[in-house]
Amino acid sequence: MSFEKFIKRELTGWMVAEGEHSDIVLSTRIRLARNLQDRLFPICSSKEEAQRVKEAVDQAVTTVEEHQFAGISMADLSSLERQILVEKHLVSPQLIEPDRYGSVLLSEDETISIMVNEEDHIRIQCIYPGFQIDTAYEQADQVDSELERNLEYAFDEAFGYLTSCPSNTGTGMRASVMMHLPALTITKQIERIIPAISRLGMVVRGSYGEGSEALGNIYQISNQITLGKSESEILKDLESITKRLIAHEKKSRELLLAKSEVHLENRLFRSLGTITHARILPSAEAARCLSDVRLGIDLGIIQNIEMTILNELMIFMQPGFLQHFKGTELTSEQRDVLRAQLFRDRLLMARSTVEGNEPEES
Amino acid sequence: MLCENCKERPATVVFKQETMNGATERHLCDKCAFYSQTFSFSPDQEPLSIQQFLAHWLGGTELLSGQKPNEVVAGPECPNCSLTFHRFLDVGKFGCATCYDTFREQLPRVFAKLHNGNTSHSGKIPVSLNERFALKKKLDDIRVKMREAVDNERFEEAAVLRDEANQVKQQLADGGDD
Repeated sequence: MSFEKFIKRELTGWMVAEGEHSDIVLSTRIRLARNLQDRLFPICSSKEEAQRVKEAVDQAVTTVEEHQFAGISMADLSSLERQILVEKHLVSPQLIEPDRYGSVLLSEDETISIMVNEEDHIRIQCIYPGFQIDTAYEQADQVDSELERNLEYAFDEAFGYLTSCPSNTGTGMRASVMMHLPALTITKQIERIIPAISRLGMVVRGSYGEGSEALGNIYQISNQITLGKSESEILKDLESITKRLIAHEKKSRELLLAKSEVHLENRLFRSLGTITHARILPSAEAARCLSDVRLGIDLGIIQNIEMTILNELMIFMQPGFLQHFKGTELTSEQRDVLRAQLFRDRLLMARSTVEGNEPEES
Repeated sequence: MLCENCKERPATVVFKQETMNGATERHLCDKCAFYSQTFSFSPDQEPLSIQQFLAHWLGGTELLSGQKPNEVVAGPECPNCSLTFHRFLDVGKFGCATCYDTFREQLPRVFAKLHNGNTSHSGKIPVSLNERFALKKKLDDIRVKMREAVDNERFEEAAVLRDEANQVKQQLADGGDD
């Protein structure tokens, strides 16, 4: 079926290192939550009710101009295939929960994903590479307005769009940016910055490893408030915070370079050595090394590696992809070995094209 | 200390999350931390645990004041999905759109806590709703004119206006489409 390509293709739209500030902002995502007026919300709907919602949305989607959508029910995919859609950020982990009747509609280029019967009846998600918050919102807004012509949304003049969770009520919008902040993490400034951002009604997420380093030094910043502020106000706030973080990160990078260039070089090249030569590569180590190499490329210390490859490896290193690649279930030790092998192969392949004659123009 | 998730391996990672209401921490092992987090951030993760957050109000019966503390208080019940307000605070989720109507009086306090003091929407409005709104307004206008016409005994004009009003009413009944 035509849906297969969404599973097979490892590179998805948001991974190409493009868009504004793509050295620091990996991706921008907008999600709009919507519900139908006359149906119970998915948390208490029956299979029949969920099916009716699905039919209504499937029908409405055919009228969206400019985009063709391919849809599939989560029940029709294997658990591995579902996991891959999650790892590509095309569906949320909640959508694939087995006790729900989730389905998804994806646009051809994978930038638009309409999840049906997740926590809300409809979740429109648009994901773009780099910092493209306005483009992402315009796209989501357009799809939303077109769907609304054929669907009766649950909307209240006082409370706005009605959602299952009170934390989404109002605009139903969650805007988020995924940022790579290695210098702020290495210099530990991030510890002071995060609480400050939180007080502005934004949420920062990261996972912290040894000391205070986030795994992969990747953080997600998103709005917490959906009620009382308009979409454009929320986007503006997120934009100004993102820009401030970018400026902070850049300054810290310069500082790191000026203060201890050889130490920094040492660390970044060691990490490059690890991902190009390791035989066993646990995921946490892979994430840390990818972050270092990414920083090395941004600073011009490491050359001849394309950022897109790193983005690809970030997705490819995840359990679902590794197992799908191998066509079988793997233990975590087997995955670590396969991950190491794939990293070596991919990076070697990339080197030979760069070092050989001019690569073909694509 | 063992990992809070698998309870097998030692916890080596502290997963922190900052929200306006303070920081939360989970102690995880490398593996669980990686599988649960890394690049698989979901924007749909609750920014804070709504359940926990709402549940602690239950003890204080802050939202159901005027009731005896020991009495089991269910609060209003949604006629559509039969969710009670008590249960809503417990699960942190609405069951249907009608819940919002049912709990309308209690909700501003819930929203104020969740949305930095804000209790009403000021963003996008569905286009169709705008159209319906415009039609309703038109109907009101026609009715006012009609009454004036009747009061001034301009019955012919009133009859024309009545037909117009019926037309608009029909449009509203058809869902606002022309």
